[in-house]
Formats: sequence, structure tokens, C-alpha cells
Amino acid sequence: MTRQFWAAITLQLRLSAATPDSYLVCVTTPLLTTFIVTVDRWAGHQTQIGNAVVAPTLIALWMLALSVAGNAITEDRLIGTLEAQLGAPASLAVTLFGRMCSVSLIGLIAFAEAWTAVSLLGGTGWMPVPHPVVLICCLVTSSLAAAGTATLLSPLYVLLPSARVLQNTLSYPLYLLGGLAVPLTMFPWWLRTVTDLIFLTWSADLMRASLAPAAVTDAPWRLLAIVALGAAGFLIGTVLMRRMIGRACREGTVVLT
Amino acid sequence: MSAVVTEALTRSYPGKRSDATPFVALNHVDLRIEEGEVHGLLGPNGAGKTTLCRILSTVLCPTSGTARVFGHDVDIAPNEVRRIVGVVFGGERGLYGRLSSRQNLRFWAALYGLHGSALRARVDELLERTGLADRANDRVDTMSRGMKQRLHIARGLVADPPLLIFDEPTAGLDPISARDFRALVTDLRGNGHTIILATHDMTEAEALCDRVTFIDHGRVIATENTIGIRNLVARVDAVEARQVPPDTVVGLRGVPGVRAVEQAADGSIRVLTDSEATTRAVLTFLLEAGVSQLNTPGPTLADVYLSLIEDRGMAVR
Repeated sequence: MTRQFWAAITLQLRLSAATPDSYLVCVTTPLLTTFIVTVDRWAGHQTQIGNAVVAPTLIALWMLALSVAGNAITEDRLIGTLEAQLGAPASLAVTLFGRMCSVSLIGLIAFAEAWTAVSLLGGTGWMPVPHPVVLICCLVTSSLAAAGTATLLSPLYVLLPSARVLQNTLSYPLYLLGGLAVPLTMFPWWLRTVTDLIFLTWSADLMRASLAPAAVTDAPWRLLAIVALGAAGFLIGTVLMRRMIGRACREGTVVLT
Repeated sequence: MSAVVTEALTRSYPGKRSDATPFVALNHVDLRIEEGEVHGLLGPNGAGKTTLCRILSTVLCPTSGTARVFGHDVDIAPNEVRRIVGVVFGGERGLYGRLSSRQNLRFWAALYGLHGSALRARVDELLERTGLADRANDRVDTMSRGMKQRLHIARGLVADPPLLIFDEPTAGLDPISARDFRALVTDLRGNGHTIILATHDMTEAEALCDRVTFIDHGRVIATENTIGIRNLVARVDAVEARQVPPDTVVGLRGVPGVRAVEQAADGSIRVLTDSEATTRAVLTFLLEAGVSQLNTPGPTLADVYLSLIEDRGMAVR
């Protein structure tokens, strides 16, 4: 299974390398960072400097995962590779998770871009990272969680008739509920019970904390929450994937002709 | 042990409207393929050959009946079946066009559990064996249809499974590649593989298969060895003739009992008849027309095919 996972990572890296538009998000990330920094300055304060790194990074991560998740199975179905994969003694969920992980790792380039952009715009040297270990752990676990959640979404896109609409409308509510736009402390208490179920919420909070001078509290538990939510997404995705495959085999729709 | 056993295997699809009659792609198919056998599946487009191949490769569930591969039920133990079946589907689909042949094969090999030096050696061996070594690093979407077909074949062989299913494997291959494919199948048979070959190419089936099954409208019409099956159609006979004037060819078509008159590129003709009496009538007709170069060979597999499968022209169900 581990080898299959690595093979899937390699496959997606090669597919992405052959499709430059996969990296479009890496072009938009510095622009989004610039937008947040300049709006912040125009408002006359610099409270969102950390957010100018956090928001573009996590948005890039999520956009990449969502885009590949939305297309992976559908494309495989169209080009006939889904049939060949289902005929092989390997778990489609593991293959998909591997592909999502490679995309999420590519998404981490966005962090370097956002951090560089904020540093250049600040004009006072490189932006300090007071808690680098927490930051790195947060980035890695967030990538895995994005991949796990994307594994959940992928079969959902096949099972739901209006999947593309879902894909297009899912982003902004999640950015908001994930605390990417503004900290969740600004939300009413009842909404925060929902946001705790979104891994982006935990990722954004911890990433912000890792970029602030104050000590980071409960970092291991917060990292665990990110991993747990990603794992839950992956497990639910695996179950949905089985249902999707079972339905496609019963209905004879593995191949789109 | 039998490699493949199907009993009353049926696959139907619901009609497009709620009150429509279900479309039956396979209808109570009973089939037994022995280990080490090369078995041909013959039939027109839409006959049910690919449906059977898909069920045996576990990507399509039967509606009723059973199919077992080396004792494993495709519905109950699909993972066991997947480990022992390699499938080669024809056409351009089923490959990552943006990757090279080598990258494609490495991915598929990993899905079958190969890794490290064994994986690399197997991939290199298959690229060599299918004549793709020189194009191993080219993107698949820049390759010809024939090259892609070779890659399909390599992918099917990647895990060296005991049962190989070839669905139209020589579609798109040039004659030399098709000949190489036949040599490959002969080689695989020599290594003890069981092979199912779904094809329209009667010459290929006749050259490669130990037994053939004719399928039409989802039903098995006949299963026999490639020599014995001619006896099933005693009513089919053939007359071959050379240097036949064009008006005589036209006249032949009007002789009662003549099923078909085929003209070859070298000018010779082949007349299929439905009885010995018709054969005699055709011989008399040709002799009276001054044709002296005559021959009455037995029916080929293609003749049997034409006889068993109703003439449906271009119609596909």
C-alpha cells in the first residue's frame, strides 16, 4: 500500500508537471498577498500581516486539492484509466490520497511565495517566524488534511448530480468558516461549533499563532485536531469511494462512452 | 482446474424510459475455459464480448448468474480475481497521454505490487518485448494508435497474470505488428497462460485459438475447437474460382441458395452456398460460363461466422 501511495504521488507530480495550469494558483498567491497587505495599509493598520501569509497559503492549498479532487475521477473515467485502475488489485482511495498529497505539497510553494511577498512589501527585511517548528508541522499536517478532505470530496463529485456547482460554491464559505478571511473570534458562538469541524479553522489559527511573538499554547493538540479531521475525511472518503465504485460497477458506468 | 467458468451469466441494463424493456447484453451465458487454453470470443459489434470481458475483469457486476476465475467468484472475491487477471482493452483509452510509455507502465506495475529493481526490470523487458523501447520516453499522446495498442498490451502483461483477456488487441495495428502480436500470444501460451481473445479478425482467431465461442445478441451460439466448428455448419460450402467474367459474377448472385459472393483483390471470387445442391448448381453455372479454374474448399472460420451470426449489415444493437 505504501508503494502504491508513492506511485500515486509520482503519477500526480508528473501529470502536474505536464500541465502548467496546475500551478496557476502559485501565480495568484503573491497577488492575493499583495491585495491583503495593501488593503491593510490603506486602512491604516498592520494587524493582518500574519493573515496575509496564512490566508493565501491555505487558500492555495485548498484550491489545488479541490481542483484535482473534482477532476481526478471524472478525468480518469473519461480517458478510461479508471477502468484499468479498478481492474487492478489496489485501493482507488489510496491512489487518490497519494495524488492529493502530491498536489497539497505543491501547494506549500504558496507559503514561500506569500512569506516572500509580505517581506518585500514590508520593506524591513524577512518577516520573522517566531515558532518555525510549529509552523512547519502545521504546514505538513494541513497538507495531509487537505489531501484527506479532498479524498472525501472526490467521490462526492461523482455521486452528486450537480457536483461542479458544489465545487464552485464550496470555496468561499469554507474560507470564511475556516477563519481564513477573519479570525473566528469575530463569529457568533453558535457558528464556531460548526467551524471546529473544518480542518482549515485549526490550520489557520495555529499558523497565525506560529507567526505571532506570543507563546503557542496546546500546539500538539491543535496539530492532532488537524490530523484527526483530515483522517476523518479520508475514512469517510474511502467509504464513499466504495459506494461509488459499487454503484458504477452495478450500473455499468465505470466507463463514460 | 478450469480457468474461467460462467453459469447462466446475465447482464442487463434498464431501459432509458421507466416502461422500456431492459437491454440484455449477456443472456444466460454458460462457458468453460480450461487452463492454458487460448479461447476466442467471436461476434459482431454489440454481441456481448466486451461485456463478458468486463465482468471477468471485475469492473462490471453481473445482473445474475456466476462467473469464476480460477475458482474465485468475480462478485464475491474481486480482489483475488484482479491479482490473476490482466486485461488489454483496445482503442486509445486507458492510458495517461501526458506521461511517457515508461512512466505509464511504472505506475501500473506499482498498482500490481511491483517495486524497486524488479519493477524497473519488468517495465524495460515489456518495452523491449512490445517494440516500444525506442519510444519509451515519448509522451503517449504523441504516439500512433498502433503504438498505443502495443502499450496497452504491455500494461496487460505487467503483472504476468495467469489469465489474460485481450479485447480487440490488434485493432489499429499494422500487419507486421499484428503478426508480432500473434507471436507474442503463441509465446504466452507456451508459458502456460490462459488467454481470452475477443476479436473480429477470423484469421487471427483461426491462427491462435484452441477453441472459439460465437456470441450474438448476448447469447452463446456455439463453442467448439477451431477445426471441429466447421462441422456445425455443414450447410455452408464454398466455391473458389479464378478468371470469372464480371457478368458471370452478377449472374452468380442470382443463383438460388448463394449466400454471398466475395471478390478478392487478385480477381478471384469466393461463393458461399447454403447446400451441396447449390454448390453443384454454382459449379455447373461457372462451367457453362467457360470458367475452368475452380476449387471447392471447406468453410473457413469466417464462413462459419457469417453463417452462424445473422447478417445484420451495419446494425449494432
